[in-house]
Amino acid sequence: MTAAYETAPGRSAIGRVGDDNGVLLAGPVDGWADLATHRTRWTGRRPAPGRLVDLIETGGLCGRGGGQFPFARKLRTLLDQPAHRRTAAPVVVNASESEPASRKDHTLLTRRPHLVLDGAALVAAEAGVGEVVLHLHDGADEAVRVLRAAIGERHAAGLDDPVWRLSLGPARYVAGEASAVLSFVEGGPALPRWSPEPAAVSGLWGLPTLISNAETMAQLAAMVELGPQEWRDAGPGPWSGPLLLTLAGCVTQPGDVVEVVGPATVGRVLAEAGGLHEPPAAVLVGGYAGTWLPGPVAWRLPLDRTGLASAGASIGCGLLAVLPADACGLAETARLVGWLAGEGAGQCGPCALGLPRLGTTFDALAGGAGRVVPELHRLAASVDGRGACRHPDGVARLARSALQTFAADLRRHRWGRTCEHAGRAPLLPLPADHR
Amino acid sequence: MTARPTRVEVSVDPVRCAAHGLCAVILEGHVSLDEWGFPVVDGTPLETARLARRARRAARACPRRALLLKSEPVTGTATTVSS
Repeated sequence: MTAAYETAPGRSAIGRVGDDNGVLLAGPVDGWADLATHRTRWTGRRPAPGRLVDLIETGGLCGRGGGQFPFARKLRTLLDQPAHRRTAAPVVVNASESEPASRKDHTLLTRRPHLVLDGAALVAAEAGVGEVVLHLHDGADEAVRVLRAAIGERHAAGLDDPVWRLSLGPARYVAGEASAVLSFVEGGPALPRWSPEPAAVSGLWGLPTLISNAETMAQLAAMVELGPQEWRDAGPGPWSGPLLLTLAGCVTQPGDVVEVVGPATVGRVLAEAGGLHEPPAAVLVGGYAGTWLPGPVAWRLPLDRTGLASAGASIGCGLLAVLPADACGLAETARLVGWLAGEGAGQCGPCALGLPRLGTTFDALAGGAGRVVPELHRLAASVDGRGACRHPDGVARLARSALQTFAADLRRHRWGRTCEHAGRAPLLPLPADHR
Repeated sequence: MTARPTRVEVSVDPVRCAAHGLCAVILEGHVSLDEWGFPVVDGTPLETARLARRARRAARACPRRALLLKSEPVTGTATTVSS
C-alpha cells in the first residue's frame, strides 16, 4: 500500500466541478459541458474491437453503483454469451441514484453528460448492441433535460452512437436496484427479482444484459481516453481511477460532490473539502446502508479498497456522512433504519417482517432501552442475506456498525435515559415526504 | 443399481416463498424455519441418492415452486446405490 502511494504520480488533489484538480469534473464551472467543449478534452476514441475487456482489466474498473463488481468480469460474461442473444437486449445505464444523500451521478449527468454517453456508446459498440436505455427516477427533470439536449447534439453531429432511450421509473429506494430497473424496463414493477444467474447471463426478458451505474460508464470513457495505467494511477492508492464522493452531515456544504485524484485519507477529504479542522465523532461511509466508523479511525483511513476494508467498510456509492459530537448516532441510525425498512419491496418474508422490527427496536434503543441490544444483533443476523437483493444486508450492516461505533453511547441509553443529544433535529437528509 | 453420484444444492427463491414450510418437513435436518416460518437452508450439500430424492420431492411439494435445485455430478468413480 505504501509502495503504491510512492509510485503514484505527484498529482494528488481534491477537485470539484469546474476546477482543474479533477479528471471527470474538470470543465466549465457553470452549466453543462456541451459536445464542443467536451471534445476539447475527450476525443471519444474507441479501442480496437476485442481489446476493451483487456483494457478494463488492466485498469481494474469496478462498478460505482455500490456493489463494486469488477466491470471486466461483467463485460466478459456478457461477451461469452451467444451473439444472437446478447445483441438482442439493450445496454442499461442505471442513473437512478436512489441513495438519498448521494449526488455524484446527478452531477455527472447534469454537468458532464457526454462522459456518461461516450462510455455507454463504447460499451454498446463492443457488445454489438444497438440500443442504450438510460434509466432515471421520476423527478430527475434537470438530468432528463440535459441528457435530451446532449443526445440532440450527438445526433446533429452524426456520431456513431446507439439508439438512446430514456426510461423514467418510480423514485423509491429499492427501485434503483439493478434487477428492479430491469423489471421496470421490461414493463413490470420496479421491484428486485431473484435470479440464480447474473444479468449478463439472463437479464431483460431472459437475454444477456449489461446494466451498470452511470458513473461506471463515465469512468469507462475516462479510462479508454487516458489509458488504463494513467487512469488507475489517478485513483487514491491501489483504488483504481478517480473517486467521486458526496459529502453529507456536518460539513460546510452538504451535498457537495468532490473528486479524489491520487492518494488521500478520509480525513484529508473532510478537511479540505468539508471544512473540518479535527476528526468528527463518526463518519458513515458508503451510503445509508453502509458502515459507521469512529471519527478518529475514519480520519486516518486511506480511501482505497484495502484501507477501507481493514476498517470493515467499503466505498459503496461514495457517501461520506459526518456526525458531529453534539448529535446522537443511535438516534440518527434509528431514523435511517426506520426509513430503510419502509423502503423495502415487501416481497421477501424475512426482510419485510424483520426490517420493521429492527426499526422499532432501534427506536427503543434510541429512547433509552439499552436492554434491546442483544435483540438488535439477533435481528440483524436474521435478515442478513435472506432477501432477493442486498437491501436487508445493508440495513444489518448499518445497525451492527452503529452498535459498534456508538458503543460508548449505549451506556448512556439505558433505563429510559438517553445521551443529551438524542433529541436534537435530525442531521442526515431523507426524501422530503419522510417524517 | 449403479448411479453416477451427484451433489444437489438447494436454494430458496425468497420472492416466491410464502412460508408454507413443507421444505423444512421433507428436508428435515437440512432446512430449518426461522421465527416467522421462512426457510433457512443450512448449506450442506446433499450427496446421497436418498437425499437427492427427498430434495426433488420437496421441490415438487412446494406450493409456490420456490425451492430450486441445482445438481452437479461429483467427479469420481460410480458407486453402487440401493434405492
